[in-house]
Amino acid sequence: MKIVVCVKQVCQVCGRSGLAPETRFLTPQDLVYRVNPYDEAAVSVAARIKGASDKTEVHLLTLGPLTAERELRRCAAMVEANDLFQIVSDADLDPRSKSDLLAQAIRNIGPDLVLCGKESIDTRHGQVGAFLAHSLGLPFVASIKELDISAEGKARVERSAGRGLREILESTLPAVFSVDMGAQALLLPSLEQKKRADRLVVRTLAFEEGAKPRTKRVGLHPPRPRPKKIAAPDSRLPAFERIAQLLSAGRVEKKGVVLNGTVESQVDGLLAFLKEHSLFNARNVPGGE
Amino acid sequence: MFTVFDPLLITAALLVMIAGTAVRWRSWQRGRKEERSGDWKGLCGYLLSHRKIMRKDRSGIAHLLLFWGVLLPLAVIFLAQFSFVLPAKLAGALSLFLNLLGAAAIVGILFFLVRRMGKDGSPPEGVLPPAVLLLFILLSGFEAQGVRLNIVPAPLWTAPVGALFSALSPASPLFLQLLIRMHLLAVLLLVATLPFTFLRHVTAGALNVYYKSKGPRGALRPLAMEEGCLGAKTVEDLSWKQLLDAEACVSCGRCEENCPAFLSGKPLSPRKVIRTILNQMATPRGSHPLLGEAVTTEELWSCTTCMACVAHCPLYIDPLDKVVDMRRYEVLGKGAAPVEARPMLRNLELFGDVNGKSASHRTDWALNQEVPLLSGQPVEVLLWVGCSGAFHPAYRETTRAMVRILKKGQVSFAILGKEEKCCGDPARRLGEEALFLDLARENIRLFNRFSFKKIVTLCPHCFNVLKNEYPALSDNLLPGNFEVLHASQFVLELIEQQKITLKYPVRSTAAIHDPCYLGRANGVYEPLRKIAGAVPGLVLHEFQRTGESGFCCGGGGGRMWLHESGTHINTLRAKEIAQSGVGLVSTACPYCLTMLEDGLGGLELEKRPKVRDLIDIVADSLG
Ligand code: SF4
Ligand code: SF4
Repeated sequence: MKIVVCVKQVCQVCGRSGLAPETRFLTPQDLVYRVNPYDEAAVSVAARIKGASDKTEVHLLTLGPLTAERELRRCAAMVEANDLFQIVSDADLDPRSKSDLLAQAIRNIGPDLVLCGKESIDTRHGQVGAFLAHSLGLPFVASIKELDISAEGKARVERSAGRGLREILESTLPAVFSVDMGAQALLLPSLEQKKRADRLVVRTLAFEEGAKPRTKRVGLHPPRPRPKKIAAPDSRLPAFERIAQLLSAGRVEKKGVVLNGTVESQVDGLLAFLKEHSLFNARNVPGGE
Repeated sequence: MFTVFDPLLITAALLVMIAGTAVRWRSWQRGRKEERSGDWKGLCGYLLSHRKIMRKDRSGIAHLLLFWGVLLPLAVIFLAQFSFVLPAKLAGALSLFLNLLGAAAIVGILFFLVRRMGKDGSPPEGVLPPAVLLLFILLSGFEAQGVRLNIVPAPLWTAPVGALFSALSPASPLFLQLLIRMHLLAVLLLVATLPFTFLRHVTAGALNVYYKSKGPRGALRPLAMEEGCLGAKTVEDLSWKQLLDAEACVSCGRCEENCPAFLSGKPLSPRKVIRTILNQMATPRGSHPLLGEAVTTEELWSCTTCMACVAHCPLYIDPLDKVVDMRRYEVLGKGAAPVEARPMLRNLELFGDVNGKSASHRTDWALNQEVPLLSGQPVEVLLWVGCSGAFHPAYRETTRAMVRILKKGQVSFAILGKEEKCCGDPARRLGEEALFLDLARENIRLFNRFSFKKIVTLCPHCFNVLKNEYPALSDNLLPGNFEVLHASQFVLELIEQQKITLKYPVRSTAAIHDPCYLGRANGVYEPLRKIAGAVPGLVLHEFQRTGESGFCCGGGGGRMWLHESGTHINTLRAKEIAQSGVGLVSTACPYCLTMLEDGLGGLELEKRPKVRDLIDIVADSLG
């Protein structure tokens, strides 16, 4: 059996810890380049099938520049991939045109099963699987969690149908399934598998006929500050700066001390503060100096 | 007295012993290469003082009696072959001394016999025959003396024990001859079988002590990955010293008696691990099952890497490094890390921290704290925050407390900020050596960019790794000009130099829970106690299991991320704490803090003792 798993390299935004609005408050440390975790789940499914029969071949397919090659190779190691294909393209593609390119490559490979993640964590379109199936004219099931291949060569998949319902579907092969996370145990490749994957040559594919995107992103707004625990902006600052601080949702420098410690030390701290700011006159207190 | 056959017999016994020793020698020499240097002084000190053996009082004393009770008479018998004459008084005194020593040795061997029979009456393999033989040698010696006294009387005071035997013995020269022959035969039998019974610890044990590790106890052996070694799949993957460890084991069970995993009913016993290795060493190369099967994965993952077994073994045997080597093979060789630990390892790979919060959030704890970031300016102290210090909700308070202390002491310090990565301890202890190396190298590169005199860490695990393990990396690139201190050591310095004063009383009865990686791994016991002593109002008690015998919280060795079945180790410790009646448990480790909190929480006590990091207590009391 021949399986193709489509893996997308994504840039995960882990936070916005910068202060500059022009970089959308992003700093290099906020970005982690990796393989889309849903696609990793698809690789795990493929690895399980491969583990059950040694005649299975698994080919990984990615599109665009190698921004996370190490992680890509890690996926190849997880499933002991036979090949790692890269479709070369710099174009700004929409899900439809991406699927067209992927479909061309898949047709050349001719697999019995195509797996991909149910969506990607960067754009979250969740369309590639469906479009792929459409272009290839194959059956499609979305968001599967489990997959078994029966002796008669049929696929039996399980997916969550919401509210705890688990749906089991049977499909003829070849087919396209998109995979959901959560049911597959994380795979950590062994060192030997990693070494073998490191030796794998990335096979590039280029397709003459560049697919034309018919939809286009025309705007992208940074997330609105969500209600989360951040320090109150310094009230002594002008409103504009305070709003900028809130928007950055990261480090907010603010003067002031929080008193902790024993009760006695807190009392002493309070007194010291009051005295320092001339808010307290010991002579007015009975028993004071 | 000697017959012509005796030299033959003696030669035969010696030959059998030498051949046996050679066979055993080959069995442990088949391990991997490892550089070790011997230490004569250490060995002599060990034998003369018996300190390590005497850590357990009664068996220690019994061993001491037996050791001298056999060694000295042997020496005298040897010297007696060169016939020289001693003044009668001196000879009498010597005879008295040997008599008493012999009696002491009998007491020693009887003690061991009774103890080794154990509760279930089945001593470990290979223990009974040599012990019985030894007892027979001693008794037959005395009996021979008794008979001789009946034939050739001597003053009572020179051989009081022999005199006791003489009361029940005939005055028959023939019987005396018979006794002497049997005595000699028994001795020869003992000598010939020495390499095959647990008595081989006489040689293997001494050798093991001679080659004992001189490095810090907490440092794990680097793995020769470039030579294709991925940990221990079979016994041949262990080093010769690791196999010598197994060869030297006397199955005394001290490791087991102190192992938190064993005591809480987990399948792991460090003694069994060592015995399994010993058994496999006896099988021909390649014929034995994998260590992963003889020692189950369940056993492997039960270890908290607390080093109690290492600390308590009288023969400097290290069961832990075998456990870690087998873990390494599970993870690197088979990709079979425990499922529960995988997300944590993956987080380390991707984000550089155990929680997967990523570098973006590593300095969130410092919000509003005005914590200086390391830059081109040299500073005295690099405050190593660690994953717990940066992300653990409760332990972030401790980090902030440390910052308050440093500021109060006017220390020039800074943090690495978002660039700091996990030190790699959880990965390494779980056997993920490759990941550990990646993290360590990144951190070392970072150290090289800045200038500082000291690294101060809050977490003992970071402390141990930075101090003992980074310098030992094969491609060590560490700038060698700084020292690594645990926060407690540094804070004690501040107190002693009167840079900070502890003014506000913290009224409580407290006891210190020694973190394994501070105490057993690095011998840092005193600073914790001295600091606690400096806090006004704090009345310090000691737990029953404390210091070198301190009981693990159950969180080390990656166990923090693993499922625990049966009785939880932290529950056991929490019960001890509850029984001790203290109101405050002071520790100095984020794992201990969490595990003990959880353990005590689970006991549903009416008045639950508080668990706090010593740094928090100091910050509370800071004047
Ligand atoms: S390893 Fe050490 S402590 Fe454990 S049984 Fe063997 S000799 Fe005793
Ligand atoms: S390190 Fe601790 S848990 Fe592991 S075997 Fe030794 S005593 Fe037991």
